[in-house]
Amino acid sequence: MEILTCHVLCVGGGGAGITAAITAAEQGVDVILASKEPLGYGDTKASMGMMVCPGIEKDDGPGNFYRDMIEGGELLNDARLAHMMAEQATEALQVLEGYGHLFLRDDEGKLSSKVVYATGGHSRRRTIGCPPGGGIAIGNSLRGAVARAGVKVLEEIVVASLLMNESRVTGAVCYDLPRGEVLLIQAGAVVLATGGGGWLYYPHSDCTPGTTGDGFSLAYEAGAELVDMEQVQFIPFGLTHPSAMCGVFVGEPNLAAPAGVLRNRNGEIILENISTMTRAAVTRVMAKELSRGGGTEHGGLLLDLRPNLTSEKGRQLWEVRRKRGQMEVVRLAYGDAAYRWEEPWDVAPTAHYFMGGIKIDHRGRSTAPGLYAAGQVVGGIHGGNRLGSVSLAELFVFGQAAARSAVNDCKGVRFSGFKHADCRREEVELLHSLPGKKGGIPPLRLQRAMQQVMWDKVGLARDKKGLVQALSEIKRIEEAWPQVAVSEQKNYNQEALHAIELRHMLVTAKMVIRSALLREETRGGHLRLDFPGRDDENWCRNIILHKGNGGLEARTEVVRH
Amino acid sequence: MHRFNPEADIKPVWKAYAVPYENKNTVLGALQYIQEKIDPSLAFRYGCRYRRCGLCAVEINGKPAMACYTYAEDGLRVGPLSGLHLIRDLVVDRKSFFEELKKYSLYLEPSDGHNARGTPVMEPEQGARLRSCLECLSCISRCPNRSSGEGFGVPLIYVRLAQLHFDPRDRKDRLAQAKLLGIDRCRNCNKCFCPNGIAIIKDAIKPLLGG
Repeated sequence: MEILTCHVLCVGGGGAGITAAITAAEQGVDVILASKEPLGYGDTKASMGMMVCPGIEKDDGPGNFYRDMIEGGELLNDARLAHMMAEQATEALQVLEGYGHLFLRDDEGKLSSKVVYATGGHSRRRTIGCPPGGGIAIGNSLRGAVARAGVKVLEEIVVASLLMNESRVTGAVCYDLPRGEVLLIQAGAVVLATGGGGWLYYPHSDCTPGTTGDGFSLAYEAGAELVDMEQVQFIPFGLTHPSAMCGVFVGEPNLAAPAGVLRNRNGEIILENISTMTRAAVTRVMAKELSRGGGTEHGGLLLDLRPNLTSEKGRQLWEVRRKRGQMEVVRLAYGDAAYRWEEPWDVAPTAHYFMGGIKIDHRGRSTAPGLYAAGQVVGGIHGGNRLGSVSLAELFVFGQAAARSAVNDCKGVRFSGFKHADCRREEVELLHSLPGKKGGIPPLRLQRAMQQVMWDKVGLARDKKGLVQALSEIKRIEEAWPQVAVSEQKNYNQEALHAIELRHMLVTAKMVIRSALLREETRGGHLRLDFPGRDDENWCRNIILHKGNGGLEARTEVVRH
Repeated sequence: MHRFNPEADIKPVWKAYAVPYENKNTVLGALQYIQEKIDPSLAFRYGCRYRRCGLCAVEINGKPAMACYTYAEDGLRVGPLSGLHLIRDLVVDRKSFFEELKKYSLYLEPSDGHNARGTPVMEPEQGARLRSCLECLSCISRCPNRSSGEGFGVPLIYVRLAQLHFDPRDRKDRLAQAKLLGIDRCRNCNKCFCPNGIAIIKDAIKPLLGG
């Protein structure tokens, strides 16, 4: 078995992990960047590439941006992290451009008020656009920047668990997918930048397949605290079919402008004036209608854009969207008439972003010694709802912070102290035995069963009865894990990968469900049908989870602003 | 479907799978169906599920295409990108190109004093268009001028070099690099192919050849 050593191990090949790795390497320490996908091919690349940049419009600045985040986040945000986000967002843009990217400029080559626009939940125009292709260009720049920094990169490596020496994180047990080998990486510090958990809701997610919540689960098992795991953002308009395209993003609420409406299966209008509403508000209306049984045979509602064709403004907007290529995906899935807005689109909300996650301080440190976090895997920055275009900036702000702390704190760690006793022999043997493991159930089948439970009972609209059932069903799937079957080939055995990911998904699912059960109110991304109102008197509180002696333990803390 | 496991098979085999018809289903949908319902050992990559990541590039009836936006039809032959090192089934090696990013400095080498925020930057439209290259590797697979060793990654290397050439912040002589790599061989070739609409010849090869 191969054993590698480094000062800082960064886990995750998107914007946050890459930023952390480059930042640490710049400080002269040995860095390993482990990416589960080919480097830079995950959610960052698949994003729309819009980035928040407060302060371009004259009356804007970090103060306004901060207030928007708190209001949008329905007061659940960690004030210190939100401040940091607001104050350093502009710097984030510079970091990314330094990596090689270029955002859209005005005719004079400047970032000016001519190129910023308003996105959901922002009171000012402060979002900068990308050249055509959005996040694709960002992915390319990030890969280049890693090559430039000379960071050691391990691609298609999944971290199965963390190495611990007493309560300190000292590295990771990894599975190398192309080779089918177990790999140990001992590290002075570990930065988790694994992204979110959108794949827990597959196919109802617009995230990439790597978003199986690995970081949430790794942090939990290492004893770190996680915050507000019930807060999952569903973005209103995703496709519902054909099967390979279910969950793919088609648009924000402003897509309906000026006069589009949402109808239920009977053709009744359930929502008008959609374009001015936030993601969360539209999603909630849709969730309620779907849970009432108003959905189509495909489980969606009908976004009817035909009213727009009767006005000049509406026809102009169609032309704008056609030129941007925004509707090609609809043409592919639903055909030409839908593309021309002459037929309604079957749409459902789709899981987009986890606001909850690992609890960190303003220096990117989790509550477990030696463990740091950055990017979507972090909780608390956005409270109950993330505003549009903030998640890209977040990667660079918190990626840098985590790396700086990790470098600083690992200086005193001596590698000679590393013993094979830390290696978690049982875990290593288990991973070794995965290719060729006998059993009756393909891991992907168990994943699908789990995802069905999450979408049906822990998705858009929740209640106590469904959540309790979900918890027991997840436990049953967990009990079935030892029966997974994996074929014998070692090289690029995706069944082995799916089995490892399933473990992470189950731990994450339990945290989401337990947290959703506790929060007896409706706030942000969390809609309780049995507690339909927001309860500021009792629930301006964060729900904090950690692994105690008896398993998952929860407590609440009053939010301080 | 192309199946190959170098641990067990001497050579690749073509195997037929029956996938039930679904209106407007894609090749990706068919691959997922086979992996989920028929043979879980089928290996293939995919990511975003609609033309944003480039991971599902395969050959369909012998031509590079993205599985995510090609409709599934009866009788399609789905294989890996040819000309690249095959790992298994539809999975080809992607690491080699990352090595070439390092070897040929295919990243921004900023000229001194270029402050990203303060200084105005005017990038020609061609540069912006090249930035949306998915790096799916299809073009490498189709290139008759590709070598097996040095400069293995052309024409994708040229797409990167041209993008950097158009970036006004970059100080390195990208035309000279392209010349060293042998771009002169491309002058009358015209065989560049991109399934995603990057105009490789117009936006990359010709500018690197000097217009």
